[in-house]
Amino acid sequence: MKVLESQAALLTNHEVYTFLQNQAREYQEQKRRGPGNLETLRRELLQYLRSEENPLSQEPPTYDDESVAKLLKRLRPYEIQKGEMVMIMNLRPVNIPMLNAVLEDMEERFTAEEQEDIVAGVEEVLGKFPPKAQEEGDVMQTTENGS
Amino acid sequence: MFILTKIADLVQIAPAQFEKHSRVAIEDNINAKYSNRVIQKIGLCICMYDLLWASEGLIGHGTGLVNVNVEFRLIVFRPFKGETILGRISSATPEGINIRTDFFEEIFVSYKELPESCEFNHNAQLWTWVVDDDRMYYDKNEPVRLSVIDEVWHDQVPESTAEDAVEQAKKISPYSIQGTMMKEGLGVCIWWDDTEE
Repeated sequence: MKVLESQAALLTNHEVYTFLQNQAREYQEQKRRGPGNLETLRRELLQYLRSEENPLSQEPPTYDDESVAKLLKRLRPYEIQKGEMVMIMNLRPVNIPMLNAVLEDMEERFTAEEQEDIVAGVEEVLGKFPPKAQEEGDVMQTTENGS
Repeated sequence: MFILTKIADLVQIAPAQFEKHSRVAIEDNINAKYSNRVIQKIGLCICMYDLLWASEGLIGHGTGLVNVNVEFRLIVFRPFKGETILGRISSATPEGINIRTDFFEEIFVSYKELPESCEFNHNAQLWTWVVDDDRMYYDKNEPVRLSVIDEVWHDQVPESTAEDAVEQAKKISPYSIQGTMMKEGLGVCIWWDDTEE
């Protein structure tokens, strides 16, 4: 084995998700199975990408193949690094604390209005989870009543 | 989180696989070798992304194997330093918090990388963030956001061929990630969900 280029490109989670879903569908249509190690990893990775905090889990889907281009266009006024843009795609920061988690030195680089506009742009292009319905008998609370 | 890595390798196709199309046989061979394996300093290999080039097949002497030189790109899990990713708390110790994803388990956040005024509860085996009079819990299985600050590589080559040396070498994970949660927006996801209104 010889590594020719260690990092030929960055992929967004959506690109990986789409690739793996297509692969799973193609294999099924061709009635073939990949090696066991691949089948296991693909299942686990799809599960991760569809987990509840992950924006790709939203139904109906809010991401498509045009999302990256639309996001770049919408956020063009701001100097956002490539790696930061990938994080915005992957994590979809729809409020200021979440945006702070993906932008380095956010406070110094962007004014409060700019931060608000970036967050608004993310929501316009990538959507947002609907507000969570209050669950009955919140389990997390009841375990903490020791005091 | 994911990158493409370009690799050249020799694929050997066994006679039993001759009934498959060459493309399928090559892809299966590459995935059998790389999928869910760590390459040192590269990352955790997911699967073949595309086949860029393949030579004519040459039949080896005596074995009947068909040798094909190939170049291909692999999808690799390799979050960059400074990248914020999602995970779940798997356990906690006085040293810090262990975090996993569905497909990768070796993520650790040291107690030094938790916000100030965090304390460890030995009975419950969990960390708590005390903000004024509020206690916020780093509960097991909670989804969290963390930022990657370092990575640790370990090639599992044993010091000797002795059985226990081989076992020992395998115990240390080939690739692990160290993270921080010391920044607004990091830590348990639900803490930051509803701050907008």
